[in-house]
Amino acid sequence: MENQIVEVINVTREVAWLPWAVQYFFLIGLSVGGVLLSLPGYAFARDEWRKLGRVALLVALTCGLAAPVALLSDLHQPGRFWHFYVVFRPTSWMWWGSIFIPFYVTGLLVYAWACFREELQEQGRVDSRLAALYRLAALGGGRNDGLIRATGLVVLAGAALVALYTGVEVAVVRARPLWHTPFLPVQFLMTALAGTTGLVLLLNRFAAGNDRTVEVQANRLLAGALGAVMVVGGVWLAAGLFGIERTHAEALDSVANSEAWRVTAIWAVAATVLPFVIAVAKPAGTGLLTGLIAVHSAWMFRWTVFIGGQTVPKTGAGFYEYALPAGPEGLLGIVGTAGLWLFLLLVITAFLPTPPQSAPRPVRAAPAADRAVAAE
Amino acid sequence: MDRSRRNFCLGAGAAGIGAATLATMPAEAAQARQGGDAARRWAMVVDVRKCVGCQACTVACIMENDVPENSFRTIVSTYEVTEQGKTGTYMLPRLCNHCEDAPCIPVCPTGATHQRQDGIVVVDNTVCVGCAYCVQACPYDARFINHDTQTADKCTFCVHRIDAGLLPACVETCVGGARVFGDLNDPNSAVSKLNRETDPKVLKPEQGTQPRVFYIGLDPKFQGKVDGTPTLWRPAREKEHV
Repeated sequence: MENQIVEVINVTREVAWLPWAVQYFFLIGLSVGGVLLSLPGYAFARDEWRKLGRVALLVALTCGLAAPVALLSDLHQPGRFWHFYVVFRPTSWMWWGSIFIPFYVTGLLVYAWACFREELQEQGRVDSRLAALYRLAALGGGRNDGLIRATGLVVLAGAALVALYTGVEVAVVRARPLWHTPFLPVQFLMTALAGTTGLVLLLNRFAAGNDRTVEVQANRLLAGALGAVMVVGGVWLAAGLFGIERTHAEALDSVANSEAWRVTAIWAVAATVLPFVIAVAKPAGTGLLTGLIAVHSAWMFRWTVFIGGQTVPKTGAGFYEYALPAGPEGLLGIVGTAGLWLFLLLVITAFLPTPPQSAPRPVRAAPAADRAVAAE
Repeated sequence: MDRSRRNFCLGAGAAGIGAATLATMPAEAAQARQGGDAARRWAMVVDVRKCVGCQACTVACIMENDVPENSFRTIVSTYEVTEQGKTGTYMLPRLCNHCEDAPCIPVCPTGATHQRQDGIVVVDNTVCVGCAYCVQACPYDARFINHDTQTADKCTFCVHRIDAGLLPACVETCVGGARVFGDLNDPNSAVSKLNRETDPKVLKPEQGTQPRVFYIGLDPKFQGKVDGTPTLWRPAREKEHV
């Protein structure tokens, strides 16, 4: 008879970083990716990147504004958030995050304003009841490439800090071998870029004029991001599989015997390879499909890391079970965050409709109702 | 000086025990510590050979500390072990290890989790924001979110009792005398003697946390993550099905 251990009594620790955290890391990652993709078109004034950059900016703005709400909700005492700001805790990457996030979001708002200022000015010339509001928002100016570049560099610094802290914050947790890898920050960034490009493809289709050039451009970017995801994932797997590094081997061992984790791994590989192949083989006309899969893939990576990672006991046998609660600590949190993001998208795109395909020009004395037609 | 439940008193004891297994804390860490008696270093030695798995410690802790339903500051992990055709039961009391180099402390973004000068790791639940970073950082799954206070929670060695000259509730109630509590800085304390005489082990030594909960008779198979068939009894699951 073979030796065996049956765990009869032990504690089941529940998930402490909730789906809110998944939403936060997903949204902030996509926002950072959106900033990066918007920079060539706006901060570096490359015309061929301008249209894609505008959609990416929408991603950056909507996700960047919704993300901190999800993060705050993940605190079990959200009303005490100010406690972060009355102490100096440089040993905690989360504390650094509390400094970086407001810096990044403020920088993003200023950068987005600088980028959209030209459109605000155009809208201010339209004869509508809101014209004065647009003129006020434009602060009496229009396109200013110098300002866009300056604010772009500031938000780039913020985005880099956010990407750094969100990755390292999790990677330093030595107690969880699945998290404790220097590859994790890179994986977060690469999957975020893939997710951003996916969302750019979706927004291009539904909220930004369905431009074919943007679709092809984004699909090519997506292929690149997914290629990088596969390379980094492959290196991580090799480090564990061949025992190159002990923590990676431990990480792999902790989940290798689980059927659920095997299915998840196959699913993740399929959700990466499939859009990669489609994006490479047929970059035009497939944006909806590749975009959906890419967004799903980026979200699923974070779900697996956070929720899946927390179901691996640190001392006990087997796995902790997790069932998604229906309330705010589960499904409602996910749906609520998605709803907030959608609301932000509707507000921003209603306030700043996609400019016409041709170069923006003043539409004087046009009735407000006709503006939407003009925009198409 | 004995710190077992049968003879516990708070005498002065400032001499270091000099045991090779007990590394000293960094000077900066010592300076950062607040509260408690700097002359002491509280620790626990668990003799798993004496544990009968009665869970009296688990219950005493819950009653003493008002631990919410479904949460545990301490529990006796119980395993059915079959080796070469023979089956037996293995008990392993688990609690916060009050590590010398506690990984839960540096990650805390508000300073709510801190270590007293006597080595006890505590959470100020009026400062804690419930971010659960410490829950993730603890290698022993010793922490959880208390849903009554919505803050991080864990074993405190019953710090309120220690400060009043009493033993932790789990030690007080242990029927087998498996849990011994005392001052490592006192060479005559029971924990110091056990450390010298029995060469106890700690959980997950490779994590470098320097736990101050020691185990006598710790089977290496249970020193880290246990490779076995998962638990049969899940209170949360049972509740869902009622």
